[in-house]
Formats: sequence, structure tokens, C-alpha cells
Amino acid sequence: MDSIAHPTQRQFNPYSDNGGTILAIAGADFTVIAGDTRQSEGYSIQTRYAPKVFPLTDRAVLAVNGFAADGNMFVKKVKQRLEWYRHAHSKDMPLRAIARLIQTMLYARRFFPFYVYNILGGIEEDGTGAVYSFDPVGSYEREACRAAGAAQSLVQPFLDNQIYFNNQQPAPGTSHPVHLPLPTILSIVIDSFTGATERHIEVGDGLEMYVVLAKGRGVQGLEDVRGVQELSVTEEGERIFVIRRDLKKD
Amino acid sequence: MFLTRSEYDRGVNTFSPEGRLFQVEYAIEAIKLGSTTVGICTPEGVVLAVEKRVQSPLLESSAIEKIMEIDRHLGCAMSGLTADARTMIDHARVTAQNHAFTYDEKIKVESVTQAVCDLALRFGESVHDEEAMMSRPFGVALLVAGIDEEGPQLYHTDPSGTFMRYDAKAIGSGSEAAQSELQDKWYKRISLFEAQKLSLRVLKQVMEEKLDHHNVQLAQVTPETGFEILNEVKLKEIIDAM
Repeated sequence: MDSIAHPTQRQFNPYSDNGGTILAIAGADFTVIAGDTRQSEGYSIQTRYAPKVFPLTDRAVLAVNGFAADGNMFVKKVKQRLEWYRHAHSKDMPLRAIARLIQTMLYARRFFPFYVYNILGGIEEDGTGAVYSFDPVGSYEREACRAAGAAQSLVQPFLDNQIYFNNQQPAPGTSHPVHLPLPTILSIVIDSFTGATERHIEVGDGLEMYVVLAKGRGVQGLEDVRGVQELSVTEEGERIFVIRRDLKKD
Repeated sequence: MFLTRSEYDRGVNTFSPEGRLFQVEYAIEAIKLGSTTVGICTPEGVVLAVEKRVQSPLLESSAIEKIMEIDRHLGCAMSGLTADARTMIDHARVTAQNHAFTYDEKIKVESVTQAVCDLALRFGESVHDEEAMMSRPFGVALLVAGIDEEGPQLYHTDPSGTFMRYDAKAIGSGSEAAQSELQDKWYKRISLFEAQKLSLRVLKQVMEEKLDHHNVQLAQVTPETGFEILNEVKLKEIIDAM
């Protein structure tokens, strides 16, 4: 007979990890923000198409990765704040203001965080391409490139090598370029995701790449891209394009 | 006006049958008793000038504060019940700081002005059984001067919570004469220095005492140095050049 009451512990875990990977790279006058579209929990795929990259304004795109429910709610709240800002100040929120807003919104939930890693990309007020990366409680930094999510550990070292030229020696009498052209960056993004799909079970199904072009920059580098679709309505100001690709579904 | 006084005078938020809010109209009257205040917008920045009424020779004239800083790029001059302006300016400062904290950018001049005006009609407001926070309208008008991405701007606010943008504006007791003088003398490409001199000339015309560096205060907002109240030396220079 077991008459002794044993101590028991119960717990509720409000979070889950829905896999997937996001990445953004800034050029001199453009930014590419990309993410795969698989959403999974454990070994099960919940859906093969759940977007993780969202255009916010004419010049800002947000990629969200981690716990999908929190991610979707967070994007919804950011969009609501952007609309309020537009009504209060009669202009779109500038990129660095969105970055700071995201920090304050994330830190407001310091003790029950949104379990998401954010990467914000777009065009700064001065016309340069910019990438801001965040941790779940709002610590942020402007960078040239960043990968986050399930395959961060696979993709980031690749970018460090291909974008920052880490561990590469320039040929004698030459130096590494500071900014890479758009076609090169698109190839690096596609290679990153095909590579991550190959080696990580939570990455695959589809790839969405958003390209934000600075005001007055032509579409050079995009003309020959298959299936590119423009989202912006005018050719004045910044322009946003989306490029979709299939990734392996196994 | 006082002959037609009726019970509609008393309720701060009761319309008269003609559709008027008397207490708000009286508050606007209160400003016309205040000292004259002038604001001038130029392509180089905004100038604010106030008359300081020194009621007694024993009064320390530097203690009269009628121009205040809201943020580095925003200034404000007042006329009327200046004690009421402290509440409004405090609100403006908090709003400007909150904006900088949340968005990492300077707040727009129009946005702070809007924030201040949102306060203006909060009188007589109460939640459930609680006492109303403000019993009457503000008895002060403000000239909000500042610079943002849209350039130098000047706004006027009054106790009704209305705000309007001006190239040049005078408020207070001498405002009628001062405003028509500004209308004559202001031009689009006026320089900051010319505007400083013009503001003092306008004040001089409507002041009872002789204008000197003790009974006027001059401030400016420029892209280079932001808001600053001109010190005695600079003020004297402008008075001499006038």
C-alpha cells in the first residue's frame, strides 16, 4: 500500500518552437529580407505555407521567427502601432523609429516575452539599406546581415564568410567590396536556404524573398529574376518586390 | 456682454441656446489681459519675443519666465494666466520625451501642439463619481515654435483647444496693433536677425514702458543650436541694432 503522499509538480508551458529560418542582408541602396514558409512542431509539419516575412510600410519589412502564434500577434500589434502613428503624425514611421518601437514593445513584455526573434529590413531615411536584428526582449543592433531561427547556426557562418569575407584573403593588390550587388546577394540568399533545407529538418517547403529598393534606384539586378512580383503601387519612392521559390518538401 | 449674462455662464461645459460656451470665450478674453507676446517664423528659424511687465522696481525681472523650452528643438512663449501654462508645458515636455524614448526621433512641432491642445478641453471632465481634474478652461494662449523635418514652424493655441500655424503671430494685450504691424512688415525670406529686430520693434510700439533688456525676453529655435533664450549681451546687441 502506498499511503504516503508524494510531492507532485505541475507545469504549463505556454510556448512552442515552430521551426523555420529567416535572414536579411543590406546592400548599399537595397535590402533583401527572406524566410522559408514551413511551420512545424516536433516532427510534424503543420503547414507548408505560413509566411514569416511581412511588409510593414513602403520601405520596411519585418521577418519574425520562433513561436508562430506570438509572431503573428506581434506583427499584428506592430502594424496597429504603425497605423496609429500615421494618424497622429501624418507620415509613415521611419525605419529606425520602427526599430526603436519594436524594442519598446518587446521590452514591455520583459516578464512574459513574445518568444520571437525579429529581423527588420528596409531603407533608412538617408536612402541606405539597413538591417536591424532583435532578441526576444528587445536588445537590438543595426547590422549588414543576420540570420535567425532553426538554421541560424548553419546560415550565419556562411553569411559571415560570404558577406563580411571572414577568413578570406583578398587577392594581392585588391580589397574586399564593402557592398555586394543585388544579383550576388539574391544568389547567396537562395544558396543559404537550399543549404539549410538540405541539412535542417525544420527548414523547407517554400522561400519568400522581399527586396526593398531605395528611392530613385532602378530595378537593375531584378529584370532577369524569374517570377518577381512588385508590391508597391507607384514607381516614385521606395519599391518593394517579392520573389517566391520552391524548396525541397522532404 | 455682461448685460446678457445668464445661467449658461456657470456650467463650464453647457452650450448656450446660441451654441456658445461662455467659459471658453471668457478664457479667451483673459488672454487679452496678458502681456504681449510675438512669434515670427523665418527660413533660418523661429523667433519668440515677450514683454515682461515689471510691476515693481523691487521685482527681480529675471524671475519672470514667459518663454520656456519644451525640447531641444521646441520652444514656447505664453500670454495670459501663466500659471496655467505650466501644466500645458509639463504635458508637452513629457509627450516630447516619450516620443523620443519610443521612436528614437524628434517629435514634430504639430504633434506636440496637438498634444497640448488635447489637454485644453479636459475641463469639467470626470470619471464616475470622481472629482473632475480641471474645473475651468486654461486662461492662457501659447506660441509653440520649433523645427522638424518640415522646417521651422510656429503654432498658436488658445483655450478652446484650437491650434493654427502662422508665419507671424502676436497674442496678449497689444496683439491687435502688433498683429497688423506684423502683417505689414513680415515677408517670406526675412532673415533671423531681421525677425529679431522686427519682433522687438513690434513690442516697443505696444509697450507702455521704454523697451530695454530688462523688460523684454527674446528666444529662438534654429537648426544649428536648437532652442535658446538669448542672453543679456545678445539681447542688448539686437536692441542697439533696432
